[in-house]
Parts: sequence; C-alpha cells; structure tokens
Amino acid sequence: MTEEIVFRTEADMPYLPMTIGTTLVNKTGSWRYIRPLYVDKTPPCNHNCPAGEDIVGYLALIKEGRYKEAWELIKQENPFPGVCGRVCPHPCESECNREELGGAMAIHTLERFLADYAASQRLSVQVSQRYDARVAVIGSGPAGLSCAYHLTRRGYAVTVFEALPVAGGMMRAGIPEYRLPREVLDHEIADIEALGVEIKTGMRLGDNLRMSDLDDYDAVFIAVGLQKSDKLNIPGEDAEGVIPGLEFLKRMNLGEEVRVGPRVAVIGGGNTAIDAARSTLRLGSEVTILYRRSRAEMPAIAEEIEEALAEGVEIHYLMAPVELLTENGRIKSMRCVKMELGAPDESGRRRPMPIAGSEYTIEVDTVISALGQEADFSFLEAGGRRLEVERGRIVTDEAGLTTREGAFAGGDVATPFGTVTHAVGSGKRAALAIDKYLRGEELSGFPPIAEAVHAVPKDIDPAVVRFEDLNLAYFDEIERTRQPQVPIEERVSGFEEVNLGFSEEEAQAEAERCFSCGTCNLCDTCFTFCPDVAIARLVAPPPLSPPHLGGMKGGVPLARLNGAGYEVNYDYCKGCGVCAEECPRYAISIEEEMKWKK
Amino acid sequence: MEKVIMGNHAVSYGAKLARAQVIAAYPITPQTQIVEMLSEFCADGLLDAKFIKVESEHSAMAACIGASSAGARAFTATSGHGLALMHEMLHWATGARLPIVMANVNRAMGPGWSIWTEQTDSLSQRDTGWLQFYCESNQEVLDTVIQAFKIAERVLLPTMLVLDAFFLSHTEEPVDIPDQKLVDRYLPSYHARYKLDPDDPHAFGALVTPPHYMELRYKIQKAMEEAVEVARQADEEFRGIFGRSYGLVEKYRLEDAEVVLVTSATITSTARVIVDELREEGHKVGLLKVRLFRPFPVEDVREALADAGKVAVIDRNISFGHGGIFAEEIKSALYNGRYRPPLFSFIIGLGGRDVTPASIRGIAEYTFEHDAPETEIVWREVKSQVTSRKRPAT
Repeated sequence: MTEEIVFRTEADMPYLPMTIGTTLVNKTGSWRYIRPLYVDKTPPCNHNCPAGEDIVGYLALIKEGRYKEAWELIKQENPFPGVCGRVCPHPCESECNREELGGAMAIHTLERFLADYAASQRLSVQVSQRYDARVAVIGSGPAGLSCAYHLTRRGYAVTVFEALPVAGGMMRAGIPEYRLPREVLDHEIADIEALGVEIKTGMRLGDNLRMSDLDDYDAVFIAVGLQKSDKLNIPGEDAEGVIPGLEFLKRMNLGEEVRVGPRVAVIGGGNTAIDAARSTLRLGSEVTILYRRSRAEMPAIAEEIEEALAEGVEIHYLMAPVELLTENGRIKSMRCVKMELGAPDESGRRRPMPIAGSEYTIEVDTVISALGQEADFSFLEAGGRRLEVERGRIVTDEAGLTTREGAFAGGDVATPFGTVTHAVGSGKRAALAIDKYLRGEELSGFPPIAEAVHAVPKDIDPAVVRFEDLNLAYFDEIERTRQPQVPIEERVSGFEEVNLGFSEEEAQAEAERCFSCGTCNLCDTCFTFCPDVAIARLVAPPPLSPPHLGGMKGGVPLARLNGAGYEVNYDYCKGCGVCAEECPRYAISIEEEMKWKK
Repeated sequence: MEKVIMGNHAVSYGAKLARAQVIAAYPITPQTQIVEMLSEFCADGLLDAKFIKVESEHSAMAACIGASSAGARAFTATSGHGLALMHEMLHWATGARLPIVMANVNRAMGPGWSIWTEQTDSLSQRDTGWLQFYCESNQEVLDTVIQAFKIAERVLLPTMLVLDAFFLSHTEEPVDIPDQKLVDRYLPSYHARYKLDPDDPHAFGALVTPPHYMELRYKIQKAMEEAVEVARQADEEFRGIFGRSYGLVEKYRLEDAEVVLVTSATITSTARVIVDELREEGHKVGLLKVRLFRPFPVEDVREALADAGKVAVIDRNISFGHGGIFAEEIKSALYNGRYRPPLFSFIIGLGGRDVTPASIRGIAEYTFEHDAPETEIVWREVKSQVTSRKRPAT
C-alpha cells in the first residue's frame, strides 16, 4: 500500500500516531543531505605488508574455516607464506590496531598456519594462459622467485639463474633451519617450479653466465642480492678463526663443514649476527655478541633478540672491537673498546663514539663479523651495456627499470629494505612492471618505492584506519594468542624448528580477535541499527547461507566487495548517519549529497 | 503490614506492588533513594523488572517510552532539573498515549542552586499532557503510585505523582504496605491495545501531516476530560479494597467558611492544624486540598468553593509574570462558574523555606482582615522593606 490514507472522522482514526498500512508513500530520502556509502578503507596491516598481502581478507576467511581460500588469497600476492610466516619481521603487526586491546594480532603466526595447512593438504597454485615472451631472472632468492612466480602466473616463460647449487638465495643460505625448516622452503619453491618456472642452478652471472647471454630474453630481472660481508677494518681481520657472518651461515646452511671454537664472539646487531650467534650456540660454543650501540638501536627482529638471550647468548652493548690479536696466525683474543652514544647520524640512530681509555681484552677462539653486507658487482665488467650503480645499489626507476633496456632490478641489490618479505614485494612489483613492458604499456602507476614497495595501488580507499576510527563499543580486550615453542634446553641441542605454530583452535581464537579495520565483514550492525529500515542485505551472512559466499571475485571474497554485502535504499535513507557512526570497523563513509554540483 | 518509611521508599514500594516491568532512571537528589531501592528489589529478585541505567533523564523517559511502546508497565522517578531535561520526552509519552507512571520529587530550579522543595518544576510541565497528583503523606504517595497505573492504563495517558522534597521524600512516617494479592486484585496486569509486535507490525510516532494531527490532539483532550471521572472511580474502588481514599480534592471543614484556604502537598497538613485551631477560636475557616492538578477538577473546585466567603490560595510555586499557579488555575475554574468569590493569591515557601503554622495563621488573618487582596500577588515572608521592617509610625 503506497497510497496516502485520509480519514474522514476522528472516530475512524487510531488514538495514537501509528501506521495502518505502510509508510512507503513517504519517501524520506528527499530529506537527506548526506549519504552513507559502503567504502572499504585500508587496514594498517595490509598497508604495511611489504608483500602487499590482503591480511584482513585472509583473517576473515580463517574465521570462517575457509583455509584453502585464505591460503590462495596470500598466494595471489606472495609465493612464500610458509617462509614469511616464519622469518618476516611482520611490520603488519607493529601497526595493528588490536595492539591497544590485548596486543597486536598474531598475523605472522596465522600466515604460517595457513602455509602449514596448505602443505599438509598438498595445495598448489594453477596457471592457465601462456605467452611466447621469455624472461630471465638472475637470482633465486625471494625477489627473483617472487618475480618469476608472478610472471609465470601472468603467462610468461621464465628461467631463473642461480649461482649456488641450490635455489632459495638468502632464504636458504642465510636463514638457519631452526627458524626455517628446509622442507618448508623446498615445498614453496617446488610449488613455483610446478607452475613451469625453470631454475638453473650453478649459473653465476659474470662467470659462466654473461650479460650478453641474456640478450635472447625479452626482459631480465636482476635480483642477485647482497653477497659480501662488510669488513671490520681492524688489524688482525685476516687471521684464521675470523669468519664473515654470511660466509659462516652459508657454509652451515648448505651443509658444508664449519669449525668454531669454544668461545665465539659475534660482531654486529642485525639478523645475521643473531642468526650466527644462535647457530654457533647450537654447535656447542659459548657465544657473545658485541654491538656498538644499545639495545634500542639494534636492527635485528626483537623476538629473535629475545630468543637469543633466552637461549644463553650474551649480548654486550656499546662495545666495539679495535684489534684482533693472533698467535701463530690464529685468533687468540680481541681488544675491545667501550662506546657511548653521541649525536644522531644520517640513519637517525645515535652515533657510537669510543670512550678513551676504556679498552680491554677478551679471549676468543672464533670471531664472526656481521656488520652488514654489500653487493658483489663483479659481474658488471662482463656486460657490454653498463648498469648504473649508486651507493652500492643498482639504480632503477619506481617501476624497477634499470638504465639498461629491458633490464629490471629488485630485491636487496636495488632496494634498501633487507627482509624476505620486502624482496617478495619488490619481485612482484618488477613482475607487474615487466608485464607492462612486454605489452608495450607505459611503466606508470607505481607509487614511490620508499612508501610502498609491494605493488600498484589497490582499488580501495587509501585512508589507513586508525584506532580512533573504530567503534570500540564492539570490542573487548582479548589477549593475543601465543604459539608454543620447543623448550630452551631441547632447542639449543640441535637445529629443530623453535616455533611450533598454531593449532586450528588457536588460529580460530586468534583470527576472532581481528577488528577487520575498514573492511565490511557482514556483521549486520548497520542493518540492525538503520532507523528507517533502509538497509537491505544483498548476501545472507555466512551462518545462514554459506553457498552464496563461496565464490571469489578478482581475489576478493564477495562479502568484501563494495556494496555487495548491503544496499542502502536512498528513497528512504534520511542520511542520519547512524549506520556509519555505529559501524564497528569504519567501513561506511558519509558523503555530502550533490557533491558533484559544487 | 505497617512500616515506618520515608516518602521515597513509599514510592519504591508502590512501584513494586504495582509490578512495574521496566524501570529506567538516572539519579538526582532528592529522588535517588526511590530508584536505589527499586534496583535493590530487582537485584534481590523481589521485583521481576528490567532495571535500565541510563545516561540522562531524557534517556530515562525515552527508555520508558520504548518499554511502554512494547507493552510493558514502565516506571521512573526524577526531580527538578531532571524533569526539565525530560521535557521533550514528556510530550512524546503523551502523544504516543503511553501509560507511563513517574514520581517527581518537587525540587526548586536553579540557579541559585537548590535541592529543596518547590512545585515550579512539575507545574512547568503542566501542558505536556501528563496527569498530575500532588501528595500530602507517605501513605498517600504509596497509594497514589498504585492508583496512577490504574488510571493511566484506562485513559492511556502518562501520569505523574508529586511529593515534596525532604518534607516527604526523606521524612519517615508509618505507612501501611498493602498486601500484594489485594494490589493485584485492584491493578490487573497491563495489556496494551497497540504495541511493538513483530507479528502485527506498525510504525509508531511517525510523521502526521496537518490533515490528521489536530484530531490526535482532540483525542488527548477527550482522554484528559475522561480522566477526571476515571480518577474518581479509581480512588473509590481503592477505598473499597484498602479502606483508604483521597478524593480528587479534599474538603475540610468547609461548612459556612468565611475563609477557605486552598493548599496542595505537605502545606495541607500544617494548614489542617491551623484550621482546627482557628475553628476552636471561633473563626469560620475551612480548607480545600487540591490533589489532582491535571486534569484540573473544575467542577469539584467550583462545588467546593460555592459557599466560600473568600478564598486564600497558598502557592509554593510561581509562574513568573503572572503569579501562583494553583491560584491562577482556581481563578480560571471559577470564571465561567456561577459564583466568583474574592480570591487571594499567596506565594510562600519557595526554595524549600519552611511554611510554619504561624505562616498559615498569618495568611488566614490577612484574608480575614481584607475584603480583597491589596495586590494580585500577596508575597509572604519575603525579606523586603515591606515585610521585614515595621511600618513607620504615622
């Protein structure tokens, strides 16, 4: 009934103002001067993920028990969830809004949970299309393999050249097994190979592979990483018993013989230093880390530092070696100096300054130097057309294109981030750029690499959801779920993985904590609160009717497509804003009516 | 069962015996004890009601409106500024025809900040369409809560009972707490004719355009007019079961009275004593207590004052720019009647100032001494040049 009812006498009327038929005749939408719109915003985790993962998306799928789709959602962006779920420093968690109410989401461990699930189910990614274009990738580290993976999924034929006898780059040569079991890495590399990526090992650029050999390829991606450890630049460095950190880790991780003495000193404060220290501990040595700044400046992943300390590694802060003393050409002791922190240097960290007269000597059998690493550009001499190098890195534009036609570069050799996940993002970015290049398209649309290594802008509002944007009435404080670990006594006696991951129950409990910042998850709050009953459900929520939600569209669960979950009937929406105000997760925006007229 | 309780707790017992189903309230002195005790009744399982703590009196009334719209028997209590904050919602309760019952403890409005008694807070809500009862004793308070639900649910209008701050709210008196079974007999459970019901969906309180709005107001006035007789019957029925009644007005020693004092609320008790004293002294004085203020019992007042020589209305309230509100109401009730005696409008006791036996005696004496009031308002006990200094000798 949409006709207006007119009563002829008061006796015919009800005694109170109530509807007899419907109120549809009264199109109250004309009162509106602002309108609500379902607009997903960028969650801070997604914004901060160097690999560009849709974290909120896969946490939602975990909640619904749809692990395969959740894993596939990661695999859209990152071929290495098993690796990153173990070794990533998880910048996603450091910006997580959950921090305020029980601790940040354990995204890292949930990613690993999905990867372990996929491995246990033998899930794999499929490719359909094929193009004729061929791409060469130099380096099978996370950047190279990520690029190869994404290019192959786009239909290109990719050959990866690796100098070492095995694929994986720093994931294999740099990261110890107790952090990253080899079968996890093997599984994810095998998954990439299964797509059709060809990996040729034992092919070193500048040695048995020359730049000119790459002319047959339509494009080249150079991701050779950083191979050389920085030198200590102190007397005695060449003595027996002094090992560069990367060299030590590579030999150990590739199963070569490494000898360390009973007293080991590791110089440096980054992840290489920690990895080397925890590894030598497992070889039975006493280990001391010397770091010239304080704990606050230490660049290693915080949890890794904690683990090292818990396992018995000693860390001496504000210490630096000044001379290595030898006996018969072999390291015997090390003269050190105490440091103090001065004014900030160009990295923003306070510069360490030696304290005069504070020198002392400690007895050591082995010194592992882990001050930092740099690229080995010896291959450049072999090439005809030069790649430009600046400050130790290959020069590229935002798309990753080098100064050489058809040659792109990424990963640590071209970007300053130094994590597996950043390398994955860098490789993906290059794959997208190479795809455009091979299609003859403009290499535009890439945001500055310093802001967003991972990719091209996503099709959602770039505004990052802040804690104060959420409606806290809907969220209780819930403690973060912690994954179990092997007890310390057991773990230091071998290289078994330390972290044990989540059980399904733990993963469920943890995923439930997610606020789903800026992302509609069909919670029905707007639907419930709309005082004008002007919001309609377009898709029934999962518990009522799961089949409707089964599909994915362009990699995004249907539930999250803009407007797919609910529809506002603007004939009746008065623009009161209650839906937007009440939305627990800031997934509804308010826009002025007739904005286009102004 | 007889208990010695304060007026506030008399309200609480009344609401409990009336089996209120939803109580929404916000604390305010001097009312707070009412809902405190009710919340305890709820917590202890002595009253099966939903107690809703809200963030303001506006919300308290809104919650009662929601509850009543859903067919529940809803109750709240407030005072002074709290009542003022409810103002918008008071109109809503009336327009939606919801039989909500509320106790208001009279409290003077600030500033100057006050917690003491004065009727201006409730009388300011005169035109909101709420029935208003002014109570004289704690027993009357308890009984009026029960009567209020009966009347409200008959005429479908909200009802307010009013009691003086401290003189009743915090003063303990013996009160007979009636037997629940008798109360249940007197006040059966409430069944709303229209309510929020998913099985019979209607929208309530929506837009009403000029073609229909006026008819709804007409119906409210008709219900108010009906409420006079409904209230009289409810009071008589109450007497039949409980042996007590109060009338809409109470006529005390009005026979051949030359001066009739008109009072409401606790001033009545003091006036009753003075009427007895003056009668003993041979003065022909009587007392008319007005208990029902809205709807105003015009016929009862006209009939009670039909033989009065002069009428002295004592107001503990003021409508600024006009005068004592009971006085104005009585004047207007008499205007179209057959008999219009001289009427004196006394204002006294604002902001909780004590109105003593001497005060009442002074008012009676003034009325005996004057054929007509010297001024439209006769202020009593104001610290002014006129009243606090002796007249200079002439």
